[in-house]
Amino acid sequence: METYTVNITGEISEYQQRDEAIAAFAKLFSISPAQAEKTFEKAPIAIKKNVDLETADKFKEALIGIGVECIAIASSRAEDLAATQASVYSAEPDVSVQNNTSEPDALAATPMQEDEFKGFEFTIEGDPDYGFVTVQLPADKTIKVEASAMATMDTNLNMKTKFKGGIGRMMTGESLFINEFTAEGGSGEIGIAPGAPGDLSHQYLDNQTIFLQNSAFVACSEDVIVETKWQGLTKGFFSGESLFLIRCSGVGDLWFNTYGAIIEIDVTEDYVVDTGNIVGFTEGLDYKITKVGGYKSLFFSGEGFVCRFSGQGKVWIQTRGVDALVGWAHWFRPVKTNNS
Amino acid sequence: MKTEIKGGKAFSYVDIELAPGETITTESDAMSSMAADLDLTAQLNGGFVKGILRKFLGGETLFISQFSNNTDGPRALTVVQPTPGEIKCVEMTGDMLYLQPGAFLACSEGVKVGLAWAGFTSLIAREGLFRMVVSGEGQVWYGAYGALIEKEIDGEYIIDTSHLVAYEPTVKLKLQLAGGIFSSFFGGEGLVTRVEGKGKVVIQSRSISGLAGWINPKFFW
Repeated sequence: METYTVNITGEISEYQQRDEAIAAFAKLFSISPAQAEKTFEKAPIAIKKNVDLETADKFKEALIGIGVECIAIASSRAEDLAATQASVYSAEPDVSVQNNTSEPDALAATPMQEDEFKGFEFTIEGDPDYGFVTVQLPADKTIKVEASAMATMDTNLNMKTKFKGGIGRMMTGESLFINEFTAEGGSGEIGIAPGAPGDLSHQYLDNQTIFLQNSAFVACSEDVIVETKWQGLTKGFFSGESLFLIRCSGVGDLWFNTYGAIIEIDVTEDYVVDTGNIVGFTEGLDYKITKVGGYKSLFFSGEGFVCRFSGQGKVWIQTRGVDALVGWAHWFRPVKTNNS
Repeated sequence: MKTEIKGGKAFSYVDIELAPGETITTESDAMSSMAADLDLTAQLNGGFVKGILRKFLGGETLFISQFSNNTDGPRALTVVQPTPGEIKCVEMTGDMLYLQPGAFLACSEGVKVGLAWAGFTSLIAREGLFRMVVSGEGQVWYGAYGALIEKEIDGEYIIDTSHLVAYEPTVKLKLQLAGGIFSSFFGGEGLVTRVEGKGKVVIQSRSISGLAGWINPKFFW
């Protein structure tokens, strides 16, 4: 049976700090950080020899998880190489069995460093099933949070309730209120839990505009303007959610949630999304409510109306629809008998 | 005993393999599948009076189930919790842990499950008048709706009522308004729990009230 050798290339994933990765590496192999540092200096180096493919894959997964780049080489080939290069293996891509790409999933638990310099620092835990975001607020900064979504916070955070979005928000069926939390006399953190089971996503707005369907809004920083926008009667009526969209614009962080998992789609040509699966989309995309096929498919295919996006931009969709859940759960709800 | 929590965070379950002579205690109805020759004994949860107290005050069941392996080989058993959500295991080494009503799922031999007065604060916070105390040595499984997130507390911290799942005895609970009077009643936050001390708390990343608030307006009739 073919055996494999796992090598570290000595490189660290661009999403990970070098010393953090080395510390994690040391912990993983139960060695001291100094030993780990030495191993890295000697890289590329074999860290596990003559194991089967499954074990090699497990090692690779663990290493990629901590942001350490590695490759698995078939031992027969590695030995050929070793003969010519003493015990140090080349990390040339032509000898790698599989090319590694750092998986964003494995890094989801680490702080989003790329956003630190512009937005708030935050971590998302519990995703993708029950995403929960913890935001670090610098002193005197304010965050706007969907009413009743606050789950935990530091004691120096002060809450104020603001009437945002006016009459429109009242009609969307959303709570009328957005709570503002301000870190007073020092930094503080806030943990936010949306109501729907599912994932959370973050976007940094830099004078862009994102439209969200009405229950997707979770939180945003102070300078993001949140308003409700009338979709027009036809669009609103058939879009499955409500007559209004939430328009987020300005500069700052924006968090939104989905029911189910979240998928981001870059739209370059026309793209069709079932109305119940739309979470949000960027401004610049035009959308129309259409039917997929002819009238026959409209009524019998179960697809009904769809949203057809055109132009350039991004669309976020959720992998489950609320209507489907409601339709599924409805028959199991207790029936109130009217005795009058 | 070999155990493993499977099923992800969304629908966790505990896969247990009992060695000959081993016993595990679970909430009633927590067993979802098991080897046919495991012996089940339903017991009053700590005696009749205590059991009644636990049922009505601790949010637990009147009876608990004990599964014993009286065969001469290892036998499998799966344990589930009633709500969707994550299950965690804690290894007790003579210390104590408080669990919110309904969070307790199962424990191995050597663990004592008791009921302790939590105070009126806890009642107003909709967390119940009593809390479960687990102590002793062994494994305890507990769970809740949502993902479970561990947090080290040093000082004061605020947790929305109904998000707290478990906490160490070094952590004390107090109750306060989320903001001013207006904000607290119209901002949808209302009362919050202020935890104080140094120790670990476990929170659930979703709450049933959040789920209800999201889904209820979607039903048309």
